[in-house]
Amino acid sequence: MQHILVVDDEPDVRDSVKYVLDRAGYSVRTAESAVDALAELARNPTDLVITDIIMPQINGVEAIESIRRAFPSVRIIAISGGGNFGVTDYQPSAITTTAYLASAEKAGANLVLTKPFETFELIQSVEQVLGVGHA
Amino acid sequence: MAQLRATFWIYITAWVVVVHLVLLPALYFGMGYVIRESHEDLFIEHARTFSRVLADEFEVGVALDSQTRIEDLLDFAITHGGARYAELYEKGRSIRSLYGSSEIKTPRSSDLSFGQGGDGIYFVVRPIEHGRHHAELRLGFDEQPTQERIRLALTRMIWLLAGYLVSAIAIAIILSHRLSRPIHRLQAVSRAISSGDYTRALNVNTGIRELHELAVDLEAMRHELVGVNDRLEAKIKEKEISEVRREELQKQLRHRQRLETVGTLASGIAHEINNVLVPIILFTDTALQDLPPSWAPRANLQRVLAAARRAKDVVKKILTFSRELGDAKLALIDLREVVAEALHLFSVLVPPTVEIQTEIGESLPLVRADTTLAAHLLMNLCTNAYQAMEGAKGVLTIGLSYQGHAEAGGMSQPRVELWVRDTGRGMDSATVERIFEPFFTTRSVGQGAGLGLSVVHGIVESFGASITVESKLGVGTTFRIFFPSTARLEAIEDFAVSVV
Repeated sequence: MQHILVVDDEPDVRDSVKYVLDRAGYSVRTAESAVDALAELARNPTDLVITDIIMPQINGVEAIESIRRAFPSVRIIAISGGGNFGVTDYQPSAITTTAYLASAEKAGANLVLTKPFETFELIQSVEQVLGVGHA
Repeated sequence: MAQLRATFWIYITAWVVVVHLVLLPALYFGMGYVIRESHEDLFIEHARTFSRVLADEFEVGVALDSQTRIEDLLDFAITHGGARYAELYEKGRSIRSLYGSSEIKTPRSSDLSFGQGGDGIYFVVRPIEHGRHHAELRLGFDEQPTQERIRLALTRMIWLLAGYLVSAIAIAIILSHRLSRPIHRLQAVSRAISSGDYTRALNVNTGIRELHELAVDLEAMRHELVGVNDRLEAKIKEKEISEVRREELQKQLRHRQRLETVGTLASGIAHEINNVLVPIILFTDTALQDLPPSWAPRANLQRVLAAARRAKDVVKKILTFSRELGDAKLALIDLREVVAEALHLFSVLVPPTVEIQTEIGESLPLVRADTTLAAHLLMNLCTNAYQAMEGAKGVLTIGLSYQGHAEAGGMSQPRVELWVRDTGRGMDSATVERIFEPFFTTRSVGQGAGLGLSVVHGIVESFGASITVESKLGVGTTFRIFFPSTARLEAIEDFAVSVV
């Protein structure tokens, strides 16, 4: 059984993603911040991290960079609903979803997914990243 | 003390009169003296000559011894010599001509001067020495005719001088009028200039050199003034234009800032909603998978899912507006193809009451844009246009043109213009002002979310293009999109490369 860690500051997003992937037969744990996620990765073996990009404190892109350095074999899917960090951080050139996801990919994400996604899109993405047959 | 000022001609005339009032009496008395003197001299000369000649006659032969001869000679003096008194006096006897005036008395002394005695008679007394005779010839000449001649001459001179005075005054008046005419003209023009009319030229035709030169100098001054004035006016106009331009730019900036603020807010809201939609979609979808097909409330859950997907579409549009154009892949494209594709799709949608026309210009350069998004943008504008003409006949025109030297932002910049014009309801200026804001709509509830034109704005921005709206209530609306020409873009890129 493959282990997946879902990182998102929104409990509903975390829980729904965990629910879908549990149903699909994966072992899913959750973390509500990048700091928690790194601690969790250190404690338990993990095959895949699904992480939000826009999060308080340490954002997803930085989290991905840290995971890449500490756990090179872990696969990563970045998810984002676009928008921006906050009105005060408004940077016209860097607010597009594509820009976030592109920077996530650049930081080392294996795949990026735009929120909201369909159940099948989520499962297909996970299978694609983990490689079908590894389950 | 206020100084009295007379008009030019009165001034000159008054001076002429004053000068003549002083000069003419002097002239009169001087001339009078000369005339009087000459007349008196002539008179005295005549009297003396006549009395000498007559005295000579008494000295001829025995004239003094003949009473008859003496009387004849004395009468001759009265009748032909102009005398009024003639007497021959010899000790013991006095013979007087009977033709003379009886009331004239014997003179007190001989050889009195003219006018003396007050009796109007000039006496000449001549001694006659002949043989034993020692007589005196006493002649009295009438001064009256000479006095008359002198008076007449003086009267004539007064008339002459009066005529002269009148002529002098007339000449002074005419001359001063002639002199003051160019001055009046100068005055009229300089008054016009001082009241702000700089266009009247100082054209004074005069033979007086000083006035002519003054007019030339003033004209030069006016010319300079006109120049200064024109420059000032040009400067003021320039300032006004730049003021208008500045206001226009500020208005654009405010508009843009508002759109950006709204965009930022919309983008933040979109992020939140997207997060909310994740559990809704995932939980509903999996619930539907788990529940038996016969379970009645399934339909409701399916509606929840459909509503969530619609919400997802709405959010996608908001993000498009706030430049969340994730999929935009800018490349050089031919807008004619975009128009053709949009027409192909659109001709199916529009009711037959709407006539579609195209005005495609020649030699259009390629522009940097995304074909799909450009088509999307054009479809949005066309939809908006035909909805504005709903229920009525109308013409929808799509146009493309190249402007090699269009004025934009104060500098010339070649650009390609894509425009969509309808003959629909039109909009008021308040609506035009807000037309690109998301959720701003003039349509009734249920006819649309009001995202169409904000999406258009987002797409236009993502192309680096600009959009303008012209609208008139009851006439129609024209949307114009200006794509920077690629020639310019390439120049900028070349520059960027050379800088790097």
